[in-house]
Amino acid sequence: MIAVERLATTWALFQALLVEAMPFLLIGVALSTLARWISPGGKWVRDLPAHPLLGPLSGAALGFALPACECGNVPMARHLLVKGAPIATALGFLFAAPVLNPIVLASTWAAFPDQPWLLAARPLGALLIAVCLATLLRLLPEHELLQPALLEERRLSQPLGEVTLLERRSGLIGVPAGAAVPALGGSSRRPPLGQVLSHGGSEFLELALLLVMGCAIAALVQTVVPRQWLIAVGGTPTLSILSLMLLSLVVSVCSSVDAFLALGFAAQVTPGAVLAFLLLGPVMDLKLVGLFGILLRPRAILLTAGAASLVVLLIGQWVNLLLL
Amino acid sequence: MGQFTSALSPGRLKALALALWGVALLQSALSGRLDLLLRAVFHPLVWGSGILLLLLAGVEISGHWRDGSRVSGRWTSLLSIGAALAVLALPPRPSFADLAANRQANLLEEPGLSFVLPPAQRSLTDWVRLLRSEPDPRLYAGDAVRISGFVLPMPGEEPHLARLLVRCCLVDAVPVGLPVRWPADQPQPRADQWLRLEGVMVSETMGERQRSVVEARLVQPIPRPRQPLEP
Repeated sequence: MIAVERLATTWALFQALLVEAMPFLLIGVALSTLARWISPGGKWVRDLPAHPLLGPLSGAALGFALPACECGNVPMARHLLVKGAPIATALGFLFAAPVLNPIVLASTWAAFPDQPWLLAARPLGALLIAVCLATLLRLLPEHELLQPALLEERRLSQPLGEVTLLERRSGLIGVPAGAAVPALGGSSRRPPLGQVLSHGGSEFLELALLLVMGCAIAALVQTVVPRQWLIAVGGTPTLSILSLMLLSLVVSVCSSVDAFLALGFAAQVTPGAVLAFLLLGPVMDLKLVGLFGILLRPRAILLTAGAASLVVLLIGQWVNLLLL
Repeated sequence: MGQFTSALSPGRLKALALALWGVALLQSALSGRLDLLLRAVFHPLVWGSGILLLLLAGVEISGHWRDGSRVSGRWTSLLSIGAALAVLALPPRPSFADLAANRQANLLEEPGLSFVLPPAQRSLTDWVRLLRSEPDPRLYAGDAVRISGFVLPMPGEEPHLARLLVRCCLVDAVPVGLPVRWPADQPQPRADQWLRLEGVMVSETMGERQRSVVEARLVQPIPRPRQPLEP
C-alpha cells in the first residue's frame, strides 16, 4: 500500500516538475530559434575583443542578446567561431551565456524567490568559470582546441593576413577571398521562417526528452532515496557539493529549467551544493560532452570538464564557508 | 504497409509529438491538475506553452508537406509521444501525508500575518503563522477554531491536521500542521484523509513546555479542495 502511495507521489512530483519546467524550456528554445533567425554574422563578429578578460566578458554579455540554454548555445558558439569571432569571446559566450541570460535568471528567481543571494551568485559564478575556462583553453593552439571541420570553416572567414591559403585548404587559390567567403562561409542569408520554426520544434522535442529524464531522476531521488541518506550526504559541506555536481552531470537538464530540479534538493543540502549544481550543469554534463564534439577536440573537452569541476567545487566550498 | 509507413513519417510523428505535448499542457490546465501541481501564478505560462506547441505542430504539418523541412529523429518523436501520452493518461494522485513525511516540517520563512483575523475565520495556515510569531498558548485558550486540512501521522503522538505550502510547485512543498486532540468516541482518522474540524484551542503540556492544541468537537470528512496547495 505504501509502495503504491509512494509511486503515486513520485508520479505527481514528476508531473509537477515537468509542467513547471516545460514552459521555460519552450521560451528558451523559441528565443534561441529567433536569435538564429536574425543570427549574428558579418564583420562585427570579427571585431569583438580578443583581450583575455574583455573577450570572455563580452562573449558572456552576448547571452543577453542571444538567450539560449546550453544546447541552443553550442550551435550559436560554433556560428560565432565560423564567422571569425576571437576565441576568447566565443568561449566566454559558450560557457557563460547559458546562465547569463534573462530566461535562466527568471527561472532561477521563480524557483528561489526567497534566496536573493543565489540570483546574484549564479551569474557571478558563471562569469568566473567562463573567464577561467577561456583563459585556460586559449593556451591551446587553435588546431589543438577546435575540431578540424570547424577550423577549416573558420579559416575561410579569417583575413588572408592571418592564415595562409594552404591553411585554408579550400581550393581557393586564384579566387579573390572577398568573393569566396560569403559563398562558403555560408549562412548570412536569413532562412525561411517555416524552416526556422521546424528546427525549433525539433530542438524542443530533443530537449524535452532530456527534461523528462531529468524530472524522473529528481522525482525518484526525492521519494525513493531515504531522507536520512539525503540528510547525511546533504549536510556534509564537501560531500554535498560533490554529490550535486555528480547529479548535474548525470541529469543533463537545460539551464533554463535546472533551478526547478535544484529546488527538489534545496531543503536537504548545503547552499554551496545547490549553487554547484546550478553552475556546473550549464558548462558540463553528459549531453554536452556529445554537443561539444562539434566544437572542441577531445583533449579540450577533458580540460574543460576538469577545470570547470575544480572551479565549481572551490566556489561551492567558499559559499558554504560564508553561509554555514 | 506502405501507407502505414507513410503515416508514420518523421514529419508527421514530430507534428504529433508537438501536438500531444501541447494537449497534455492544456489538459492539465483545463482539468484542474495544475491546482494540484503548481502555484497559480505559473498557470498562464502553461496555458501559453500549450497553445504555442499546438501552433508549432500546425506549422510542422503544413511546412512538412509544403517543403519537406528538417525533421527530428523518429525515435525522439516516438519517445516524446509515449511520455506525453503517459502524462495525459495518468493524472497525478499524490499522497500528501507521504510527501510531508519526507519533508522537514514548519519551514515557514514568511513573516507573521499582516493582520489578525477573528479566530473562527483563521485558516490552518493562519493559525500556524500566528502561533509561530506569538507562541504563548494562554493567548488563544478557548478561541473557536474552524479549519480544514489533511491528516498527517506524527511519530509518537496523535496525527496532526496539516496543509502543504509551496513557493513554486509540489516539489518544494513543506508541511505545516496543528496538533489535534481527536474526539475519543470516534475512530482515529486515516492518513491523507481531508477533514474539516470545528473546536476550540486549548493548552496542553508536551514534555516540559506548553503548546496550543485544537480540541476537535466536530470532525467532518471533505473532498480534497480544488486548490489544496497554499502559498
